[in-house]
Amino acid sequence: MGENAHVEELAREPTHDLENESPEALYAFLEERQWGDGLPVVAPTGDRVEEMLAGGDPGADPDEVLAVLPPRGGAATRRTVAVNAVMAGCPPEVFPVVVTAVRALGQQRLNLRGVNATTHPVAPLVIVHGEVVAEMGFNAEVGAFGPGNRANATVGRAVRLVLLHVAGARPGPGDAATQGQPSKYAYCTAENAAASPWGPYHHDLGVDAPSAVTVHCGENPHNFHDMESDDVERILAKAASAMTTFGVNNACISSGEWFVGLCPEHAATAAAAGWSRDDVAEHLFATARRPAREFRAQFDLLAWAPWMRDAADDDLLPMTEEAGNIRVFVTGGAGRHSCVIPSWGMTRSVTLALEA
Amino acid sequence: MSARILDPAGPLAEGAVQLAPAAPALVDGRIGVLDNAKPNARLLLETAAAGLAERIGGEVVRVTDKGAAGFNAATACEPQVLEGLSKEVRIVLTGSAD
Repeated sequence: MGENAHVEELAREPTHDLENESPEALYAFLEERQWGDGLPVVAPTGDRVEEMLAGGDPGADPDEVLAVLPPRGGAATRRTVAVNAVMAGCPPEVFPVVVTAVRALGQQRLNLRGVNATTHPVAPLVIVHGEVVAEMGFNAEVGAFGPGNRANATVGRAVRLVLLHVAGARPGPGDAATQGQPSKYAYCTAENAAASPWGPYHHDLGVDAPSAVTVHCGENPHNFHDMESDDVERILAKAASAMTTFGVNNACISSGEWFVGLCPEHAATAAAAGWSRDDVAEHLFATARRPAREFRAQFDLLAWAPWMRDAADDDLLPMTEEAGNIRVFVTGGAGRHSCVIPSWGMTRSVTLALEA
Repeated sequence: MSARILDPAGPLAEGAVQLAPAAPALVDGRIGVLDNAKPNARLLLETAAAGLAERIGGEVVRVTDKGAAGFNAATACEPQVLEGLSKEVRIVLTGSAD
């Protein structure tokens, strides 16, 4: 019996009896099964899991399969997702966000099999939109990508634990990322719609719901700052500079998306100039470019749209094949730092209405 | 105090399979190559397949890519390609990585 089969056998029991629920006992339990993210967990007792399930749709079947997650082919049922949410430390009220994120992970266009199999350091980023940001206490302001907020931290961690346990995305056999990245521990932020000059991100996508969840599979955020400009083009020149690197997969895979997380002050500068969210994307599409010859000098394989493959060497080519692949949202608090989040490439973001 | 906890991995989905155990012997020498679209995969896999065929007295009977949908290493193989391979060969070499 191989190592993976041994671990799978251990995992087949629906419940496990421990001597106690001390951190040490839980560590030993997880270690034997090659589970966990390396941090202490909350013991997923029956009572706690029931409380977690009660935080979601009260009429839902706990055995409903939300998604089948590769490479293991695990059935992400509501109950199993709730177990991982308990372990992550989620308060029950955020459970619908975790459920919706797991549904997104199961969408074919997100290509989770590839996301987990690649050597690229990609991690699913969960972005929370709408009324639940305030209602559930997500941090969309100062430090929105950082620590110190239970909702952000535990939702991001719960999604990762689901990937580790249900999807089998353990580094090595289930997650081939050469170096990994810190966002593989927890990667969740929220849209700061209250400080955004534009409508909620999900409304612009046609998701007509008070709240929604986006999952984008990408790298860690790449910061760009501009402390002094009142000129939106001067600010976005920094974004374009951060985007036009050959070190990201978007350079050789033109179908990849970019998420651009503008801080409220940069977004306000754009809006004061009369720019919409789409105007920002169009401008970055037009300006984040390099000559075709430079791409060709750097890569033997270019997964480009046909019109890009046909470009002359002197033509300036964008870092993605269409402006619609540049997705702009507002997050963060005071200060003038924004970020771009490159894609793994062969994946598409998914935005779903938050389940009731 | 003892504690009973719920399993965080849960069951495998219906239809999910685990890797097959290694074959005890290469009794059937029909070898296929499935190019997974990584750089130099075909060269590496064809060379390895030829070496294996020589070693076991077999034959490389099919070399294929993943079909139209599998143009990139990150995209899945067309089901009909897998079906064809399963009928024609006993051993498939595939999956060159970075």
